[in-house]
Amino acid sequence: MKSITVTAAALWLAAAGLGAQAAEMPAMPPQAALCGSCHGPQGQGVEPIAPRLAGLSSEYIQKQIKDFQTGNRQNSSMTPMAMTLQGAELIAQVAVFFAAQEPAPMEVQHRGEQLVFSDNAGQLAFQGDWSRELPACVTCHGPSGIGGGLFPRLAGQQAGYLKSQLQAWQTGSRKGDPDGVMANIAQKLTAAEVDAISHYFATLK
Amino acid sequence: MKHTLLILGATVIPLAVPMAWAEPPTKEAQLPDRQTQLPSSPKLEDQHYLSPRPLNTIPQGAFGDKVRLGYQLFVNSQQLRDKYVGNELNCVNCHMDAGRKPNASPFWGAFFAYPAYRKKNDKVNSFEERIQGCFTYSMNGKAPPSGNPELVALSAYAYWLGMGGLMDQYGVTGEVPELADAELLQGGKRDDFPVPAAISAALTTEQRANLPGRGYPAIPKPELPYDPARGALVYEAHCQNCHGSDGQGQAMGGVYNLPPLWGPQSFNWGAGMHRVNTAAFFIHENMPLGKSIQVSNQQAWDVAAFITSKERPQDPRFEGNLEQTKARYHKHDCYYGTTQDDTQLGKDAFPNLPPKP
Repeated sequence: MKSITVTAAALWLAAAGLGAQAAEMPAMPPQAALCGSCHGPQGQGVEPIAPRLAGLSSEYIQKQIKDFQTGNRQNSSMTPMAMTLQGAELIAQVAVFFAAQEPAPMEVQHRGEQLVFSDNAGQLAFQGDWSRELPACVTCHGPSGIGGGLFPRLAGQQAGYLKSQLQAWQTGSRKGDPDGVMANIAQKLTAAEVDAISHYFATLK
Repeated sequence: MKHTLLILGATVIPLAVPMAWAEPPTKEAQLPDRQTQLPSSPKLEDQHYLSPRPLNTIPQGAFGDKVRLGYQLFVNSQQLRDKYVGNELNCVNCHMDAGRKPNASPFWGAFFAYPAYRKKNDKVNSFEERIQGCFTYSMNGKAPPSGNPELVALSAYAYWLGMGGLMDQYGVTGEVPELADAELLQGGKRDDFPVPAAISAALTTEQRANLPGRGYPAIPKPELPYDPARGALVYEAHCQNCHGSDGQGQAMGGVYNLPPLWGPQSFNWGAGMHRVNTAAFFIHENMPLGKSIQVSNQQAWDVAAFITSKERPQDPRFEGNLEQTKARYHKHDCYYGTTQDDTQLGKDAFPNLPPKP
């Protein structure tokens, strides 16, 4: 327990240091402190409590907070937390802050660099399975799943979280995607594929 | 310099016989219309389609290397950016599943359809020339020179997809027979094209040139005349999530995984996709990606009209006169030269092969 406190303190210091280096880094709005208590002060994610926010776009974070508020997404912890953020301006402040917390740079793999994958997950990620109308994950989520706009970053996200979300899309407890595009894709995945894909993207860092 | 050459070209080519390209003065001026109407036929129920072999069965060795390079260029055409590719598109944007999917203009279907005589330019086009046309128009770039490694690679990939699929379908075992580069560049619609006996016994050259699933399946004309204004609403509801409210697609990690549909980084006014009917066929069959919903015929035509009624890079055959280019090359379902939102399309068209800013 003590070591966790120390780590958290170190992260706080690191965050302050980063803030001093990059002038454009927004200061943490007071409301974001509440988010940071579960997601980590830099949105780095705290497993298994809360997923990583760093690397997500502000557009995506704002949409998700609103989805929690309207019931498109349901989570016993997040729903009341999201309710504390009322008003578009407040939501935007928090989203901009966490979107500015970038994960460590990674080597991005583009489509075509690899033709043969030893694991089915890599193949699904980069080539899809069109016999089931399954496009490659990277088509929307970007090379190596780095995300952008309304498409969340998958690379480096916690495997447990990715899995729970794919399952939520499958059961319909997560909604809010235009035309049900993600629900449609998730529903085509087998349980084994959900596991494999979740672990695959979690290990991309 | 290029501009001067184009103008010179215009003065030399007699307008009355636009298809007579005997000894044209410049490479640019002899660009034929290689992006004519794509073949399209209605989709049939219970149709059996050719199924290409998995990529992990591409053989080792020099021939396999060409096939692999072809695949890589197909899914990441941006490797040729500013050399032969002048926009942010990749082949795979219009040919789903890396050219493997039926009814999405599969690359395997195209290979056996060339060489083909084209009335429009009064000449037999090889497969290589057809791909060169893609670079000139769809990729808003510059055709790679005849026989160059990229054209060989793309041809090898198309051949391997098609021949492997046919072999499996007709019980021919073993690796896809290797072919010389010159054979690959010609294409497979030749009576002297080497084909295993079981395949030639089952399908004529003409049948191989019209494999089921080739092109985009035709859909009926819409009940109401297609309309960009109605299409804008379809776009907002079903397309802009991926392609953006401004149609400029979305880049991640430096590449447009979600392609721009109009504007300077999209296909130009000579590309097949600028035709309302071709775009409607493509959209109805292939969009939205992953088919979470099916748009109606009317919606497909309307949204195709919306997308193709926006300004895009100039037709490379443009020689300084919009009306002339319109009259010569745009007598089909398209908006080139028409006035939309008080501006004549083509007048301010974006340049071809612009350097990346």
